[in-house]
Amino acid sequence: MTVAAMELVNLKKSIGNKDIIKGLSFSINRGEVFGFIGPNGAGKTTTIRMMVGLINISEGDVLIQGHSIKKDFKQAVREVGAIVENPEMYPFMTGWQNLKHYARMMPGVTEERMLKVVKLMGMEKAIKEKVGKYSLGMRQRLGIAQALLHKPSILILDEPTNGLDPAGIREMRAHIRHLAREENVAVIVSSHLLSEIEQMCDRIGVIKNGEMVTLQQVGAQDNDNLVHQLTVTPITKAKQFIQEEFALQVVEQDGILSFHCKKEQMPAVIKSLVENNCSIYEANVVNGTLEDQFFELIGENTIE
Amino acid sequence: MSRLFKLIQNEQAKIYIRKSTWIMYIILFAIIIAGAFLTDKFSDLNEDYQGDDWREVLQEENKDLQKEMEKDEYAASINPETIAKNNYYLENDIQPAPYGTWNFVTENAVLMMLVSLLTIIVAGGIIANEFRWGSIKLLLIRPISRSGILLSKYLATLLFGLYTTIFLFITSWIVGAIFFGVGDMNPEIVKQTANGFTSVSLLQETFTQYGYQLVPLIMMTTLAFMISAVFRNSSLAIGISIFLMMGGNTFIGFLAEKEWAKYILFANLDLSQFADGRTPMVNGLTLEFSITMLAIYYVVFLAMSWIIFTKRDVAGQ
Repeated sequence: MTVAAMELVNLKKSIGNKDIIKGLSFSINRGEVFGFIGPNGAGKTTTIRMMVGLINISEGDVLIQGHSIKKDFKQAVREVGAIVENPEMYPFMTGWQNLKHYARMMPGVTEERMLKVVKLMGMEKAIKEKVGKYSLGMRQRLGIAQALLHKPSILILDEPTNGLDPAGIREMRAHIRHLAREENVAVIVSSHLLSEIEQMCDRIGVIKNGEMVTLQQVGAQDNDNLVHQLTVTPITKAKQFIQEEFALQVVEQDGILSFHCKKEQMPAVIKSLVENNCSIYEANVVNGTLEDQFFELIGENTIE
Repeated sequence: MSRLFKLIQNEQAKIYIRKSTWIMYIILFAIIIAGAFLTDKFSDLNEDYQGDDWREVLQEENKDLQKEMEKDEYAASINPETIAKNNYYLENDIQPAPYGTWNFVTENAVLMMLVSLLTIIVAGGIIANEFRWGSIKLLLIRPISRSGILLSKYLATLLFGLYTTIFLFITSWIVGAIFFGVGDMNPEIVKQTANGFTSVSLLQETFTQYGYQLVPLIMMTTLAFMISAVFRNSSLAIGISIFLMMGGNTFIGFLAEKEWAKYILFANLDLSQFADGRTPMVNGLTLEFSITMLAIYYVVFLAMSWIIFTKRDVAGQ
């Protein structure tokens, strides 16, 4: 059996009497991009801080390539590259000096590797400039460069798309996908905006008030319960027909009929409508986006 | 071990890359120049004694001092010391040496106060700034224990103090040489001790003076370092440490009568109070006692920094 890149075992954090994280258990494999989603204050950053040993774990453990972050910090953290919250580098040093600083702290980071990472993040020009002059996007890139120096098996990026423009977000997505595919890195990406990271994730975990509400593959859809839409005339007749003939709940809105049914049922529905002299102009399957499910799951943006 | 050197190298790079550090050095340099200028202008540089008639000059000076004592009560209280010193020169047939760069270096031992101040500023910021910049998070997720990080920061601070002391020493020597000439390579000066005046090596005196000053430098720097680690606030660390360094002796002045005054850090900082011919600030102080107290304070400061820095959660601001 292969060891998961990272495994959370009933991870808990309480401060005083308050339970901030209430027992998280999941694992992430190499080559996978894991989206860690939750509203602000749900405990994403607290969990990430525990993953990298910045704060103490109240109960449970985090295993990185089999090493416990609690008992075997150095071995475990060697496998991790991370940005926690904002990529805060030293503003009075150049990008290169910042990288050099972190390179000195880890074994086996050569000048060659540094150049390679700089090239990978497309920062050849900016690297000689002081970080104080960088745009937020540049700082995010330098942050990732810093996290990649020692060839980690896990990359943890806290809100990597924060403050990026749409082009920057696209680029970031491409980088992250590339890292997971080509370098076989397990990537954990946190965000409070599902739409920004949905496209780059293989799997998504939604956290709310310190608990994992759902954990699912991206792209996996419930084929038995798709939303279908029909633009049809005469509309009242068609609505009545579908309800009676197929026993489905139909909603009429803006001249469009919507109803839930199995994929396999649709040809029959359309065929019988045509046979009954209804004109069909358009038939659609509506992709229930994760976004909708996300809102269903977490409801209001409340913090307990 | 090489890892620790690299960490110290990192910390030093972060200290010396910043403009504020260089401004400190420029200020120190300016003060040394100003000191040399004022000394040259207004101090008695023993020039009167450099002729062949230095004995007559000394005798003449003693006569003048005697006359002054008859007229003025204040002079009566301070002049005997100068007369005794002059007599020592005459009796032992030692010609007073001219003022040279080594004298200037020795006098600049008072500037060690400023070196302490600068080192306190560095110590106060070295941990707190990482928290302020947010870079502490990237620093602590490396395969290095927090103790290792803390140690490298502490050693880098002490090294800054050491380099700045050396800077003060060498710059003073060069500036002194330009203003007053190099003088003898191993000059002697006459100094009052418990057994009256004696002639001592000036070089030895120089190193002793700087040595005494290193004690408060290290203690106050360690205090600032502790406050920086505990409260993560550089202004607080720098403010408290400088206030205590400046005001410490005044408190002791007020509290000298109290039984417990000798346990206060500031009563023990100045080890020169145990030198020949001086009385300690507080009754009951001895050199051994002071060294013990200093060691206890030092260990407490470092232990506090270590416990807080290694155990505490690094959470958001």
